[in-house]
Amino acid sequence: MSADVELSDVSVTFGSFYAAKNVNVKVNGGEFFSFLGPSGCGKTTLLRAISGFQEPSEGKVLIDNKDMSGIGPNKRPTALIFQNLALFPLMSVSENIAFSLEVRGVSKEERKKRADELLELIALEGQGDKKVHQLSGGQKQRVAIARALAVEPKVLLLDEPLSALDLKLRQRMRTELREIQKRVNITFIYITHDQGEALTMSDRIAVMNEGELEQIGKCDEVYNNPLTPFVATFVGENNPLYGKVTGIEGDKAKIETADGQYLATMNESKKLNIGDESIAFVRPESLFIPRDGDNFDNKIDVNIESFEFEGNLKNFYASLKSGAKIKFSVPNAIDTSSITSGSSIVLGFESSKSVILPKASLAID
Amino acid sequence: MMGIYIFIFFAYLFGPLIIMSITAFNSAEFPSITPWECFSFRWFNEGKIAYDGQHLAGLLSDWRLHDGIISSLIIGAGVVTLSVPIGMAAAIVLTQVRSQLRDIYYSISIMPVLFPGVIIGISTVVLWDRIAGLGGEGFIADIGRNGIFLTILAQTCFISTYCFLIFVARLQRFDQTQEEAALDLGASQTQVFFKILVPYLSPAIASAAVIAFLFSFENYNTTVFSILSDQTLTTVIASKVRLGISPALSALALTIIALTIIAAVTYEVLRRRAEKRYAESQEKFVKEKAADNRINKKYKAGFRIPKGITAILLIVVFATYGATQIVKNDLYGQSCIDAADKEKKSKFLEQLQTLESNELTDEELSGGSLGGNQDYGDIFGDPSLFQDFGGFD
Ligand SMILES: Nc1ncnc2c1ncn2[C@@H]1O[C@H](COP(=O)(O)OP(=O)(O)OP(=O)(O)O)[C@@H](O)[C@H]1O
Ligand SMILES: [Mg+2]
Repeated sequence: MSADVELSDVSVTFGSFYAAKNVNVKVNGGEFFSFLGPSGCGKTTLLRAISGFQEPSEGKVLIDNKDMSGIGPNKRPTALIFQNLALFPLMSVSENIAFSLEVRGVSKEERKKRADELLELIALEGQGDKKVHQLSGGQKQRVAIARALAVEPKVLLLDEPLSALDLKLRQRMRTELREIQKRVNITFIYITHDQGEALTMSDRIAVMNEGELEQIGKCDEVYNNPLTPFVATFVGENNPLYGKVTGIEGDKAKIETADGQYLATMNESKKLNIGDESIAFVRPESLFIPRDGDNFDNKIDVNIESFEFEGNLKNFYASLKSGAKIKFSVPNAIDTSSITSGSSIVLGFESSKSVILPKASLAID
Repeated sequence: MMGIYIFIFFAYLFGPLIIMSITAFNSAEFPSITPWECFSFRWFNEGKIAYDGQHLAGLLSDWRLHDGIISSLIIGAGVVTLSVPIGMAAAIVLTQVRSQLRDIYYSISIMPVLFPGVIIGISTVVLWDRIAGLGGEGFIADIGRNGIFLTILAQTCFISTYCFLIFVARLQRFDQTQEEAALDLGASQTQVFFKILVPYLSPAIASAAVIAFLFSFENYNTTVFSILSDQTLTTVIASKVRLGISPALSALALTIIALTIIAAVTYEVLRRRAEKRYAESQEKFVKEKAADNRINKKYKAGFRIPKGITAILLIVVFATYGATQIVKNDLYGQSCIDAADKEKKSKFLEQLQTLESNELTDEELSGGSLGGNQDYGDIFGDPSLFQDFGGFD
């Protein structure tokens, strides 16, 4: 059983400070939905509004089309997995998992049966008698999920549950989480500041900045067609090229920068006019070293400053004439031994792989 | 050098207690080590009927002491049942108030420990005397003039603050998201309290109860006013001391010290056992995770002699030596006591005779310095001289 979750014009204020502002989003039943944003942007606040720990100052939270105002967290069909997990240290693993059944007066045998079922789901069979402190980080993680699933909530809310784990475990848990979600088939609302995590697991993501939603969409949509300079630079890496619009051809716009003219693609909802201050974005992996016969819409002269080896990629850091910095990545399979610090080369990129947006602040500012 | 300092420090701390404990076994009427009369348990038992017919109570036969202990126990139980919940509630409130109010609330809450206990005692009596005066005869009047009831209230005033501090310390480390997690899982506020908060606080509840009881049991300066016509252990002891110390008090002190040590040792043993069990479960967990044999081997410790053995051996050696000395010098048993009494009696008669023959010198003396070169030890050593003051029970 899963449920839709709808936030309708939700604002949360602390004094005069808006932790969340006019948030409108509809999460569909059975969906894996992520809120992505930097630390302090109001993600936890939104989640607390959904779970009932925080009444919105304005707007409504609807679960299954039912207005949730005035309904406490213990009466909502949601379960929250806390940023720090909040397992009960004085109880065994089984007691933790069966806690929600215990407070509902379910009999002991039934509690044990359900706990065993859930232990199987999270691949911890036979470890129900252990104390919480005897579990590893990843196991604790899974126990927290099992505990939240014990009463079959319609919506599972997860607040950066993987942030305390090391990289390898985090990657494994991503897959496991996704699998668990498919198996239990309920709505997952996931919070993270890690864009890699959001992109790999989610059906759709919402990017947040300073309490406001910047963009909602499928992962590739958000990555390829960011709506704001913030999203362009927060989700994945992007090189900004600042300038003024000098010409428009269909859905492409020409931008004049200190280092030359480039052609980039406009977003349908963010049309530009000639003379507008704007930024064109090109991702490190969309910048190529032209080979014979290659013909790119845009060419760019750069001076290599340094490079680093990342394994599958080699990252180059270069500067333009005006002093602006640019980063580009080349797959390790391509031989780049001739390019060293100090060498001047020409890079090319396609206008279809570059977006142009009205000027606004970036995520890295 | 360090060793010497430590020795001096401990001698300073425990010297008086040790000396007092030894005097409990001296049969003399006044607590002393020298001169040693006879080794005897009489001050733990029935005490002594003096040769002049006066009864010097021992621990077992002192009914005032028994009554005092019983009221002290009743008051202690009352104080524990009141101050633990009050302290806990106050500490929980502290976690709920907003940061600006917090400091003010905290300061007000701990204020009672700063008041002189005397004032708390007197003010309680004054207040309840007024209240008792309102209702005429009846329940209110009875309870408002009941020393035990007033003492429970007065002691609770400041003892609940100590409990408060214990709970605050524990609550500071409480992860409040646990409460939220429980709520989110469907628990009611009451269930959160009993299933999450109380289990977490249970060690604090235990220590608050013990501390509250001990503070209540040993309290004097509040109790002496609020107890009215009743008596607690401390007020009984105080009134006895005002009349002169008896070795029965040494016996009481030794008993209390022994009980304290036994309680502390039991607690420590239980705690270590629990810790060991925890460590073992951890160790098992480590072993399970690591099939590596090296780790398993390291945990096989050889047989070790516990360090405490040396101390126990020393005590046994000293005790045996002391006992043989006492037996050898015939310092033990009824014959020794009889001999000592006989000697004292003749000395007493002698003194009486000298006093009679010196009536003239007495008048001379009253003009000069009081007491002259009288031996104080002798005066105190002879309880019959205290008969004018009411004597011992
Ligand atoms: N109870 C509160 N009172 C006042 N301000 C608050 C309160 N809770 C949160 N805030 C503020 O609201 C903003 C958003 O906080 P929130 O916890 O939602 O951030 P977040 O996006 O979850 O960050 P993180 O990724 O670090 O967990 C922060 O600036 C924070 O200071
Ligand atoms: Mg957060």
